[in-house]
Amino acid sequence: MKHIVRKEFTDVLRDGRFRWCSVLVGALLLVSLGHGWVQARSAQQEHAAAQATARDHWESQGEKNPHSAAHYGIYAFKPRLALSFVDEGVDPYTGTSVWLEAHRQNDFLLRPAQDATAAQRIGALTAAQVLQHLVPLLIILLTFGALAGERERGTLRQLLATGIGRRELALGKALGIAGALALLLVPAALVGAAALVVGSPGPAASPLARGVVLAGVYLAYFTAFLALSLAVSAWARSARTALVILLGVWVVNGLVAPRVAVDLSKWLHPTPSALEFARNVEREMAAGVEGIPRPDRPALTEQLLAEHGVERVEDLPVNEVGVYLQESEEFGNRIFDRNYGALWDTFERQGVVHEALAVVAPLLAVRTLSMGLAGTDVEQHRHFATAAEAYRRDLMRRMNGDLAENSRTGDTYLAGPELWEETPPLEYAAPTLGWVLGNRILSILVLGTWLVGAVLAAAARVRQAEVG
Amino acid sequence: MNTPESRHPAELGNGRAPLLEARGLSKNYGATRALDSLDLAIAPGEVYCLLGPNGAGKTTTINLFLGFVAPTSGQAFIAGLDVSAHDRETKQRIAYIPEQVMLYRNLSGLENLEYFAALGGKGALTPGRLTDILVEAGLERSAVDQRVSEYSKGMRQKVGIAIAIAKEADALLLDEPTSGLDPQASNEFSELIERLKNRGVAVLMATHDLFRAKETGTRVGIMRYGRLVTELGTEEIGHADLERIYLKHMHD
Repeated sequence: MKHIVRKEFTDVLRDGRFRWCSVLVGALLLVSLGHGWVQARSAQQEHAAAQATARDHWESQGEKNPHSAAHYGIYAFKPRLALSFVDEGVDPYTGTSVWLEAHRQNDFLLRPAQDATAAQRIGALTAAQVLQHLVPLLIILLTFGALAGERERGTLRQLLATGIGRRELALGKALGIAGALALLLVPAALVGAAALVVGSPGPAASPLARGVVLAGVYLAYFTAFLALSLAVSAWARSARTALVILLGVWVVNGLVAPRVAVDLSKWLHPTPSALEFARNVEREMAAGVEGIPRPDRPALTEQLLAEHGVERVEDLPVNEVGVYLQESEEFGNRIFDRNYGALWDTFERQGVVHEALAVVAPLLAVRTLSMGLAGTDVEQHRHFATAAEAYRRDLMRRMNGDLAENSRTGDTYLAGPELWEETPPLEYAAPTLGWVLGNRILSILVLGTWLVGAVLAAAARVRQAEVG
Repeated sequence: MNTPESRHPAELGNGRAPLLEARGLSKNYGATRALDSLDLAIAPGEVYCLLGPNGAGKTTTINLFLGFVAPTSGQAFIAGLDVSAHDRETKQRIAYIPEQVMLYRNLSGLENLEYFAALGGKGALTPGRLTDILVEAGLERSAVDQRVSEYSKGMRQKVGIAIAIAKEADALLLDEPTSGLDPQASNEFSELIERLKNRGVAVLMATHDLFRAKETGTRVGIMRYGRLVTELGTEEIGHADLERIYLKHMHD
């Protein structure tokens, strides 16, 4: 076996095609890792600086009515996790900052994809794209002739006549090719690990553990591709046929399936356009919806007067305006929960379609897991958006509470800097690795099935491989 | 002259226990009978040449001994072991040289030999010893480190012989090994076979070359339509006799 591994390794390294392809893929991988790291680090630094400035602005508002301060608002920035330099996921599309203000749950801002030209989108090759698309292509180019080529050249007869078993031969070849690929991937993995240890671009959320799992996901993906390529090479009549079939698999996996997944998921679980969504929220905010009536200020005033046993609002021990504003907030929150909840749930159902379609294209499972581990998937965007919205609601409660408790109806009330300083900044804790993996069980299962299926298919096909 | 059907395989050859033996060996490809009840026994030190036109069943016979195809009926034995039941053990006893010895173009002759020898269980042979084997097989010493992409067919055939020598196989299966070789290379090849024969190797060679069969073989068998139609000792006949008998069977 070791002789086959060594020979295959030597053969691959001496093959000029492999040398050039691997230099190209290796260079792209290292450049994309480096570029991603620099970009993630600078984005994180910009976010930190912007967050500090926003806090500074918040604290130095001077004397102001708390409700004005609530309208003044504050920005919150989604932290970029350490591994986001490998896979920027949906961040360029969903945005990474949100303005938290009174009465509104705003959409996220800072969406680079919105401003990018088509050429920029194509040019922005991330390490994840290199790993998901180009490395499998390299595996195909190295493996398609493994058995079909030996059969075509006539060397398979001579090899098998030595007494070596078909499976032993195929395994030796797989390990030899894997060894050559390791020359390309191990340095990239070490550079990635060093980048995490030396200067993590983002806050720690078990980055090394996430990195190890991410490496495992890609290892499983590459192994599945290698086994699948071997199976096709063992089955195909000629190396040319094997190459055509495998390129077809690559196109379906990398180009067709992702497109189909997007269209199918939108068709099965349609989402409203941004305009429709905003109009719907506006309409419900204006009129209320069934079960969620709009606050009735005269009725609220009557209720407060009755509760406190007074005749006039000026005699109330609380500022009726503050109570009403908080009531309005609570009303708005229910509308937002209803609409944003439905939207997020639709996104998640769309995500399930992507995960399920991974049965025909393992890339979809790998992409989902990769974004999840990098902290750049829709679920972690939702996780942050939920935390930011909870923070906004708490902020509004504090502002309205201060107005209601510390002033009386009709007063001109101004709160001081103490109130702004007392308001804690947003402390966001990114989800744990367990949470991420728990959300991605379907993808893990499908990728595992691909891996086991491809290995079994390779074992079966190799056993039946014709000598030629 | 006895026909093969009338004689038990053990009666054939030089009386020593056969290294290669076929008993009622048959192979059908769909409705086509590629090999029909072949009985054959080749003892150590014998060179058995299978003659016949294309499609006579020569390569099928070799493929059955190699275990590359399963027999429809009958058995093939190598050193007394049934090929179907002892794939690895039987292959360890044999060496195979096809019509075109195919090697890895990116590796040198020495590296190719090292690889095939290692797969054949001779991984302990030193590069020096392997070089000697290549030279013994007729390759120029200066060529052993050249990449095989620069080799002629004759040179590749010599590497094929070197693989067989290095393996110290008990039996050799040759499928048209001299086809396409120039007369000198063909003659050198025959000399190598002669040396292996003298070491006690049993050789089964499928060939179209009547002259080479007479020169190299100790026995020849003539095949047609999957059947062994006659079998002759090369000592008993001259070149002209062999040609005459061959043509007679082809026209029957």
